[in-house]
Amino acid sequence: MSALVSFAIYLLFVFVLAAVANRVGKDKGFLKEYFLGSRTIGVWAFALTYAATSASGGSFMGFPSLIYTHGWSLAWWIAGYMVVPLIALGLMAKRINQVSRIAGAITVPELLRRRFGSSLVGNVATLMLIFFMFFYLMAQFKAGAQIMATILEGVPLYTEAVFATEALFDGVPWIGQAEGDYLLCLAFFAVSVIIYTTYGGFRAVVWTDVMQGLVMGVGVIILLVMTLSQVGGLGKATQELSKMTPPEFLDVVVEREDPDVAEEMRIPRGTWILTRDQEVIRLKSAVVVVSGEAASEPVEAIRLTSAGEISRVKESGKLLRGGFAKVSGEVETYAYGAGKPGVYTSTPGPSRDNPMGFLTVFLALSFFVFWNFSGAGQPSYMVRQMAFKNTLTLRRSMAMVAVYFSLIYFPLVIIFTCARVLLPGMEIYPDRVMPEMAQAVTSSAGMPWLAGLLVAAPFAAVMSSVDSFLLLVSSGVVRDIYQESINPKASEKQIKRLTYGVTVVVGVLGMIAVLQPPVFLQHLIVFASAGLGASFLMPMIFALYWRRTSGIAIVAGMVAGAITILSLYLVGMLKTGKFGDYPFLGLHPFIWAVMISGILIVLVSLRSKPPGNSIQEKYFGKAESDGSDPASPIGK
Amino acid sequence: MREGEKEESLGDSFRQSRKEFLVMVAAWAVFATWTTIYVGRNSSSEPGEPLRLVLGMPDWVVFGILIPWGFGLAFTMWFSLCFMRDTDLESISEEGEKE
Repeated sequence: MSALVSFAIYLLFVFVLAAVANRVGKDKGFLKEYFLGSRTIGVWAFALTYAATSASGGSFMGFPSLIYTHGWSLAWWIAGYMVVPLIALGLMAKRINQVSRIAGAITVPELLRRRFGSSLVGNVATLMLIFFMFFYLMAQFKAGAQIMATILEGVPLYTEAVFATEALFDGVPWIGQAEGDYLLCLAFFAVSVIIYTTYGGFRAVVWTDVMQGLVMGVGVIILLVMTLSQVGGLGKATQELSKMTPPEFLDVVVEREDPDVAEEMRIPRGTWILTRDQEVIRLKSAVVVVSGEAASEPVEAIRLTSAGEISRVKESGKLLRGGFAKVSGEVETYAYGAGKPGVYTSTPGPSRDNPMGFLTVFLALSFFVFWNFSGAGQPSYMVRQMAFKNTLTLRRSMAMVAVYFSLIYFPLVIIFTCARVLLPGMEIYPDRVMPEMAQAVTSSAGMPWLAGLLVAAPFAAVMSSVDSFLLLVSSGVVRDIYQESINPKASEKQIKRLTYGVTVVVGVLGMIAVLQPPVFLQHLIVFASAGLGASFLMPMIFALYWRRTSGIAIVAGMVAGAITILSLYLVGMLKTGKFGDYPFLGLHPFIWAVMISGILIVLVSLRSKPPGNSIQEKYFGKAESDGSDPASPIGK
Repeated sequence: MREGEKEESLGDSFRQSRKEFLVMVAAWAVFATWTTIYVGRNSSSEPGEPLRLVLGMPDWVVFGILIPWGFGLAFTMWFSLCFMRDTDLESISEEGEKE
């Protein structure tokens, strides 16, 4: 309950910031203020809004679950972040800001449209942005709802509200199929973000990002200290990890101990059970033995295989010693790493599906490319690069983000490798390992109220991503479709109403789309990032740095990038039956998409008419807008 | 227009941005090579092989990731605070803006 209070205080601050942002921006031109904060973003705001948007639900939900599942190999998986602030933030920022000012553009599609003087370029960019961004929104909504569910679990009022929600929507198509707790939390999360984003616009998003960025940083550091203290030091945890072997997946049937008892028997999900054969298993979903029946239907569970983990669960006193569960059907072992000690402290890391292991050399290299260059190609970062005040802001922000990311990402690897020791059996719902860990370490330390702050960190990460994406999609619809193609003479009042309306509608659509939540949160995030990066990275690089680039080449590059990603994901789904990519020749689809996109842009540009001299002069020449000072001392 | 003349016609800020772009990509390549080669060669483990710990982590994490991460951080600081040049962006007039 105390965690809930801390969390509520955090949420209150978010709303206050949004209200203040709305008042500050009132006297400024609506569109440039609402979507770009009037290009007045300073160092702290720029650095933290960039970092907070980057550290999404993936960083605090999906990434921890991967570390937990695959061990130290995730340090290699995330290693590219050592230079992400340099590449993803620095590579194009100065030019994007400069070109967007020259063009008077406030959205990414508008920048491309004006740079090439082509509506086709702008319209294709808008379509790509809305399409891939929607997948991103879905993933973040799911993450937000999951965190809420963890915080509220066990609160009596919430439990009653869950039952009421289930009763209310029972039988309603689509909505009624969702679980009550998820439905309630999703609605609360989505409505909160939609309200403050719609009300406050870009400035509110940036200000709340700053607060959320600070919460994330402080949360990770506190969690790191508490985790290391409770696990007995990193060396001890790594030694313990090196003895572990992956669990097995199986179905179990629960029988009544006393067959004469007729009333319904319920065992909650997550319960640890000692089976008849003295094996330790954990239930993935709740078990119900209905009245009159002797046994339950088979339910999914995991079985621990490491002696250390088994003894820790036994010592914890959490084990239900009924002796009434028995394994039913086939037992599934990891395709790589089953029965192999050391698999969590070496590469390629254990994998449930891939007999080659989790992370091969080519895949690791792919991710080194992916984090940096896909990051550079994200429109949500590009729009921030259009908003900073001056280059001094950019330079200081790069340094600040480099420190910030180092304090976030590597510590997360340490925390969640230790989580394997502190919280065994989280394979049943790995995406919840972060909030579970926060609650576990704060309770053990006798400071349960602190869980609210720690859980606010991933929640802040999710919120700061969702608000940015909501604005991006609504700016695409209002600025790039309505104002550009439908009603160029729309009054500010009309634009304002439409902007608010579209932000709400996009948010609500995103919420409805995830009522049946996608299973693989991190896969969805990687897919959306890859799609956006593949569609925008090479087109933007060529638009900014090669004056010979033609508009039609940009369209070809965007479409080719998107089609390559979609095709390789489709192949992946056809081959495995699950949502996921197909790493052709061991490389992530993003690499192929970027290569194909880049080659096409060069070939089509060389075969098409070059842009006019006036455009070349405007964006690349010694125009009056070129404010460089070659004599400026280095390091100033 | 010949290539030399084309280069001459480019603005100074554009040329500076392009130079910085190339330095950043080169730095990325150095760090990617270091990490990929070191970790690729030293991180797998054979059954029964003892775990080598440095600072509580497997040694390949320290030498292949943590140390280059430190250098990456230092390089980013130097690049952003010392190498990158300022460009006067605030004086650019935003032509053709629809408001």
